[in-house]
Amino acid sequence: MSADELTRHQEAFAAEAAEVRDRADWEALRVRWIGRKQGIVRSLLAQLKDVPKEEKRDFGQGVNRLKGTVEARLAELDEELSRTERSLAQEAAAVDVTLPGRHPHLGTLHPVNLVTQHIVDIFIGLGYSVAEGPEVEDDFHNFEALNFPQDHPARDTQDTLFLEDGRLLRTHTSPVQIRTMLKRQPPIRVICPGRVYRHDNDLRHSPMFHQVEGLAVGEGISLGDLKGTLEAFIHRLFSPDTGVRLRPSYFPFTEPSAEVDITCPFCRGDGCQTCSGTGWMEILGAGMVDPRVLENCNIDPSIYSGFAFGLGIDRVAMIRYGIPNIRMLFDNDERLLHQVRI
Amino acid sequence: MEFSFDWICQYVDPEEEASAVAERLTAAGLAVEGQEVRQGDVIFDVDVTTNRPDCMNHLGLAREVSALTGKTLTSPDTDILEVEQRTADVAEVELQDATGCPRYVARVIRGVEVGPSPEWLVKRLASIGQRSINNIVDISNFVLWELGQPIHAFDLQKLSRAKILVRRAREGERLVTLDGEDRELDPEILVIADAEKAVALAGIMGGLDSEVTESSADILIESAHFDPTRIRLGAGLLGIHTDANHRFERGADPEVCRLAADRVTSLVAEIAGGQVLAGAVDVRNSSLDWQLAGQLDLRRASTFGGVELDGEQAVGWLEGIGFEMEAESAGVWQVGVPSWRYYDMRPDPTRPAGEPQPAVFEADLFEEVLRLHGFDSISSTLPDVGGPDAGSSAGHWRREGVRRHLAICGYTEAVTFSFYDAEAESRFPGIGRQGTPLLLANPISELYTVMQRSLLPGLLEAAEFNLRRGAGSVRLFEIGHLFPGQDCEELEAVALVAGGGMGTAWDRHRDYDLFDLKGAVESLAARFGLELRFRPADLAGFVAGTGAEILAGDSDSAVGYLGQLAHEDAAVPLFAAELRTDLCQPGAVQAVELPSRFPAVEVDLTLTHAESTAWADLADEIEAAAVQDLVEFGLEVRYVGEGVPAGAVNTTLYFLYNAADRSLTQEEVNERHEAVRHRLADRFGWKGST
Repeated sequence: MSADELTRHQEAFAAEAAEVRDRADWEALRVRWIGRKQGIVRSLLAQLKDVPKEEKRDFGQGVNRLKGTVEARLAELDEELSRTERSLAQEAAAVDVTLPGRHPHLGTLHPVNLVTQHIVDIFIGLGYSVAEGPEVEDDFHNFEALNFPQDHPARDTQDTLFLEDGRLLRTHTSPVQIRTMLKRQPPIRVICPGRVYRHDNDLRHSPMFHQVEGLAVGEGISLGDLKGTLEAFIHRLFSPDTGVRLRPSYFPFTEPSAEVDITCPFCRGDGCQTCSGTGWMEILGAGMVDPRVLENCNIDPSIYSGFAFGLGIDRVAMIRYGIPNIRMLFDNDERLLHQVRI
Repeated sequence: MEFSFDWICQYVDPEEEASAVAERLTAAGLAVEGQEVRQGDVIFDVDVTTNRPDCMNHLGLAREVSALTGKTLTSPDTDILEVEQRTADVAEVELQDATGCPRYVARVIRGVEVGPSPEWLVKRLASIGQRSINNIVDISNFVLWELGQPIHAFDLQKLSRAKILVRRAREGERLVTLDGEDRELDPEILVIADAEKAVALAGIMGGLDSEVTESSADILIESAHFDPTRIRLGAGLLGIHTDANHRFERGADPEVCRLAADRVTSLVAEIAGGQVLAGAVDVRNSSLDWQLAGQLDLRRASTFGGVELDGEQAVGWLEGIGFEMEAESAGVWQVGVPSWRYYDMRPDPTRPAGEPQPAVFEADLFEEVLRLHGFDSISSTLPDVGGPDAGSSAGHWRREGVRRHLAICGYTEAVTFSFYDAEAESRFPGIGRQGTPLLLANPISELYTVMQRSLLPGLLEAAEFNLRRGAGSVRLFEIGHLFPGQDCEELEAVALVAGGGMGTAWDRHRDYDLFDLKGAVESLAARFGLELRFRPADLAGFVAGTGAEILAGDSDSAVGYLGQLAHEDAAVPLFAAELRTDLCQPGAVQAVELPSRFPAVEVDLTLTHAESTAWADLADEIEAAAVQDLVEFGLEVRYVGEGVPAGAVNTTLYFLYNAADRSLTQEEVNERHEAVRHRLADRFGWKGST
């Protein structure tokens, strides 16, 4: 093929390629130029046999060049068309991915019970078991066995709610400790969560609230063991850097008894309004089980010793979730409850 | 309780600032909760626990300070110049109730001049907020705050035949007390009487007629010991609380009576003049044995405390607070308990005061050593008891399971009070009720008088609270105890209240209905492997025709109930259920049924049947047919409207056929399905209204 002829073909192809608008145009162009049956390139190659021998080489090279040009340009056009097609498809399927997702409606657990579960988990980890008992109790389990003698002023501090039949609503979960010790001999390690009741009703007190008490009885259990257990517990419940302080105090069922303070979780011990500037917050009561209590439960205090502690769960929930008034815990306002993460 | 630091220092010089002393006291169990500087003095606000009446006075606190600082304690002065005439010649004391009053010490001073107190005395009393009345009354009060012994001074002239008789009040006897109240007495109340009548409430308050006034000349000083229970009973009956009965109820020091009488007498002589009659009339119930002793083994104390205790130090502390230490062997002491700790340390408080007590519990002695040692320096350990305990309990496990399941079902946990008002009691059926409910004897309010026999009143109130605050919907549950009646064990139950539409149109939520609630209940039961049945029932508090009793297993007695609440005021229809949870027991672990590896075939079936035909009957019929390879069936749609005859309903069910060992052919499926179709059509198919 002469150079002129080649140039003519190439110019003709370029002009046609410039007119391609869509996939159909492209397909028509491809068939017309490199189609297997009647493509221009094909028919040029078919002419090769009639070309004089001395021109064959040039002709062949010319056709091949043309073929190369056509194929390269077709590939280019194919890529351009694909790009356009993709973007059209995308446009058709596009959504606003910032629209809100549809949440499944999940419930939540009550803050008091979440805290209870946390505490129970900690003590199960320390090898304790869970013990429970009735909320309506008798005098023996709630007071007498716990070394609150009849007509003793220590009972005044308990503000008991009595039933007309002479029984009472338990003022603490300690009766569960008594029931446990009456049932089993040491070693005993139990944790007793539950509802308790007092004749008390104001911003800081509710006639019904929640307590968890722990009891460990065995040979050689010491005040140091109580201290260590409370520290382990408080460090897990609050944070590992929480300070723990035991102050001697008095409860009829333990001796020695202690009030347990933690560094104020709000000011971390610097002193704030919540802790009255002391940097400390009284959080639980504890002590070594009084030998009279052990004897009342048929456990020999000359062999066994033990410790017990009690904690108001509602108070911990209030601290943890920043709830200022105990009654808010029992309003059951879903706007508040739904903020508590499980 | 307020105490003056300056006054404490009258008996011990701590050679320390008030704040340092306060810290020591707090660390030893006498919590100084406040310190206030008043007129050059520091006033301590001490929380003295009920077991330490011995520290409800300045000498008692000084004793603690002395033991804690190692500084010497100086007891107050009781020098008295007596005349020849003896007290016993002019006054007579008789203990008719020697249990209620085991000891009575009387002293007489003649010719005193009742008048204002000297400045130091006024100041002392004022520092702890006590008002000055006259020198005699002030001295009595001073000694109470100094030694902890309540004192009463009588005008001797006003005691008929100068007689003191300690007895119970007579039926209907009356006494006008110092506060001007004319009180009717009860035979449970212990009184001080003269030869004719009651003149004072023993250990509580004096009488108006016999009190010391400006015109009194001869006075009788009472320094007695009273039984704590008797005083508490009397004060409780009369509703009186005084500094005197506060101490007697907690147990005063039985051995301080004479010392206190002498102390008062010496101060009276010094301040108000007069002649002190010789000696005292000291009547004591001779059968009383106040001796208390025990053994302290330092090694055992160290084990108990988890701290290495030093013997010399321990002895120093205990002797410092008045214990008598007698070494028995190395590290072992016989310990005598001082009289002022009697009530706190007697091993058996139920034993009558006259009977000797057994040996003091060693833990009582450990406590003393450990509190004086301080808890701060005790190192922290964990109990070495070997092996874990039993872990979670079945009850706890079950409750947690129920809670988590219902939270996943979209229910929010509520906690409401376990008591309600009398009206709430009859609103809902409750579970397991027997006889009358448990009533509170001293309810906090009329709203909380009855122990709950249903959780619904409380939970419904919570639902209403949310709806009132604009919530478009509620879903609440609560787990709590029911108190079914006298002699009945408490029952644990769970209640649910729900209603209203959740979310917006975008959320594609719809209004909650009875079957949403029922589904939550059923899925909860299924979680515990429990199959429930529902029996239509007319239930109090529920819309007629919507209520059902819940039955479990083969039992015919209801374990709960559900329905639509009859609640006209509610913004949205509310649905509720209550169910006992003790049925939700951890079942035996069952192996899973492996799903078929071959494809299942789903076929629908539409049946036109009477509206009155219950779904349960259709379901039972299909179950009864025991169709081969039918692995599941269920309700797809219920339709009433065009094309369905009046009184009938179209129920479309789906059936899922699947064989474990092969793919079922269409013919096989058709054959099985036709059999069901005929069975259902024959039994329930619409045959026109009859």
